Amino acid sequence: MNTTRRDLFKFVGGSVVGALFTPAPWRLVTDTALWSENWPGIPRPARGEIRTKFTHCALCPAGCAVRARCVGDQPVALAGVPGHPLSHGALCAIGLTAHHLPYHPSRLKQGPAGEAAQAVSAAISKCGPAQHAAVLDLRPGRTASWTYRRAMASVKHGLYLAPPSPFGGSVAFDLHQAKTVLSFGAPLLDGWGTPGNVIAARENFRLIQAEPLESRTASLADLWLPIRPGAEEALAQAIANVLADGKPRSPFAAQTGLTEQQITSVAEELAHNGPALVLDGGQIPAVMELNRRLGSLGRTIVARRETPVPESWKKAAPVTNLASVPDGSIRVLLIDESVMDAYLPWSMIERKLVPDDPLVVTFAWSRQGYARHAQYVLPAAVYPEIFDDIPPAIDSVAAVFRIAAPLVEPPAGMVNPSEFIGGLAGLPAADALRQRADAIHQAGRGTLFTCAGAKSVPVKEVKPDDFWKALNEGGCWLDAVDESGAGHRFLWPANADDEKRSSAPPEDLPLVAITCETRAAAAPLSPLMSKLYQESNLRLAANHAALNPATARACGVGEGARAILRTHCGSAQIEVSLDSGVPPGVVKVAAGPGIMDLCGASARAQVVPA
Amino acid sequence: MIARYGMTIDVDRCTGCGACMVACAVENNVPPAHQGANDRKGITWIRVFQVNNGQDYPNRRSAFVPVLCQQCGKDAPCASVCPQQAVEIDPATGIVGQMPERCLGCRYCMAACPYHARYFNWWDPAWPAGMEKTLNPDVAPRMRGVVEKCNFCHGRWHAAIERAAANGRSIQAVDYVPACVEACPTGAIQFGDLNRPESAPARAARNGNSFRLLEKIGTDPKIYYRSTKDWVHRISSAPAPGLGKERSRG
Repeated sequence: MNTTRRDLFKFVGGSVVGALFTPAPWRLVTDTALWSENWPGIPRPARGEIRTKFTHCALCPAGCAVRARCVGDQPVALAGVPGHPLSHGALCAIGLTAHHLPYHPSRLKQGPAGEAAQAVSAAISKCGPAQHAAVLDLRPGRTASWTYRRAMASVKHGLYLAPPSPFGGSVAFDLHQAKTVLSFGAPLLDGWGTPGNVIAARENFRLIQAEPLESRTASLADLWLPIRPGAEEALAQAIANVLADGKPRSPFAAQTGLTEQQITSVAEELAHNGPALVLDGGQIPAVMELNRRLGSLGRTIVARRETPVPESWKKAAPVTNLASVPDGSIRVLLIDESVMDAYLPWSMIERKLVPDDPLVVTFAWSRQGYARHAQYVLPAAVYPEIFDDIPPAIDSVAAVFRIAAPLVEPPAGMVNPSEFIGGLAGLPAADALRQRADAIHQAGRGTLFTCAGAKSVPVKEVKPDDFWKALNEGGCWLDAVDESGAGHRFLWPANADDEKRSSAPPEDLPLVAITCETRAAAAPLSPLMSKLYQESNLRLAANHAALNPATARACGVGEGARAILRTHCGSAQIEVSLDSGVPPGVVKVAAGPGIMDLCGASARAQVVPA
Repeated sequence: MIARYGMTIDVDRCTGCGACMVACAVENNVPPAHQGANDRKGITWIRVFQVNNGQDYPNRRSAFVPVLCQQCGKDAPCASVCPQQAVEIDPATGIVGQMPERCLGCRYCMAACPYHARYFNWWDPAWPAGMEKTLNPDVAPRMRGVVEKCNFCHGRWHAAIERAAANGRSIQAVDYVPACVEACPTGAIQFGDLNRPESAPARAARNGNSFRLLEKIGTDPKIYYRSTKDWVHRISSAPAPGLGKERSRG
């Protein structure tokens, strides 16, 4: 038999067709997939010894205890510490991803520290008689805060500024004692206080949430009262009327958008199912007065002792509320935003600065916050690099002392705010935390909780060096319950919200903008938080706004449209989505860079097509 | 004893904080969103949907429903359509596993999954510079072009098995919990072996307030939801809570 060229082609063609019916091509595809899994574009996780470290989260005042799973010294996962007396094993989404923050793309890595120090010294020497050099501390009560206060006591015209605090300072809200909680927009189940503590207490109280939007807290409350925007004070007064006279006065009741029967029912519940507690998102005098009327002071609102400090530190500048500083009087302002509890709108700060050439220096780890307005931005360490203590949270009845011990080393070139500011007055700040720990140990009261063994021991039974070591390994000091707090004098907030009072008339700004997702306002979150903000619709992304369809139609905007949000403080671009769950006349806007400066917690606003 | 791992989710306790979503992404090396990713192209092995009673303000009431792979029974639709046998149901645990090494990226499984709980890697996984140091060493990142989904943190199960074997005993309930269960601050998500009557999911399965998603189609899911609200029960018949058909992924 002769083999022709045609036969050869037939054989090859037949082989190719036949091969397609064998597993070979599929195997080839699989092998290609295996190969592609290991190509250089796919990162390979580092391997090493698995260790566990403990610390406290410094991202918010809750200061939850953290267990870090580390490969070598590198944390790869964070979790809560079960059995912790304060945080009860809980950690929020932001805290769970905090180990990514040192690698955030917007991380600041260098800044002109020397030049800034010279500029600050020169500007302080130029301060006139009615002018001040001030430190704005956005997390007062820390050891660093004491350094700032001591430094400002030595600096000419020095002022130590802090955001206003409820009842003027060391006061705690005791949810565990409350049977009925009325919340005026406080995000009780969405980041208020210590989340684990709130959840632990939640089973024991009935929650009534009064706010215009159905927030996460409102959706889980036992009763949601959908009041009109800005009607919190009117509702508090109407409830106070019921408690005093048996029925609400008409003008107040009408302002709230609720029926008289609803208001009476809430008032009766507060009066008869006590102890009661009334909370608000800001500091409304009528709400505080309601607490007094309900007998909450001393029962569910209690005085808390200060965490001990060395005697020599007590010669310090007093804590001054920013609102009480005369406008145009601050020449030098140093802002510590390396850790931040609350973002104050820049307009509130700006008007306190001298009109001619004020100097603003911020200590920050990104440019998202006040750094946008400062002449000098000095890079600061970020949690979990920082070495700082966390003052007691608003729901912590006893004084506490816990340290955010670094899980990773900060990069070179970081500026320590307390060393910088202490240096202006010649104060050594490096050992301040150790000195305070020694002062606490010397006071001899309270217990030490250690995370590794989940045990509490009286401080008296621990040696000073062991106490310090335990604190650095995630330990927490808890004060003994203060029995002498009954005579505490609660201070009333002096002013209502100035921003709201100075807002433009409703004809110009017909809507009310209510800010949500405020945790993302001041500093960036982990890139992995895109799961919540970008890859799902769970949370409203920064600079996005939700409007009722009827409101949107009246404004001339639709779903997905770009629009301009205007308030009396300026304007910003937003992206609109429609939500029939938002009340008519309201813009629900997610905080982001610029939005908090524009709206604060809420403001009169206008939305126009971009 | 052969296990049949399942989960119970108390919708009335879920605050929608999203801790489960990020804890899952950290544990399983799911990368942050690509610039072009959105709610359809993003990867969230567990996703919390905000659902509501369908009414407008002020009668609107919302709840949060975490949805993950429902770990269907032996007739899992994704397993039957996979041409590569990249989907396997582990007979020892009942966990529906996905093997990205075998996956061709045909996405038949995504089309077949009635819960929209499978995700396609549209882009190579990428982390900001330096952040790759924070990856979990127990889980390999997946490449572009393959499908992935929740596997009840299979890496944790392997680690628990190894630990138990090293101690000369069999695996106990406390040895193994997925990352979302560990992270849930309210305890709304609980995990256990459905074959053990005392486990939380087994108790939930007997609870009158429990329901499973799309129970009528007979996939025998192992995730039991719980709520006292009737309108929350009604969402169990929707293809994906909170999403219309036109917005489903794929």
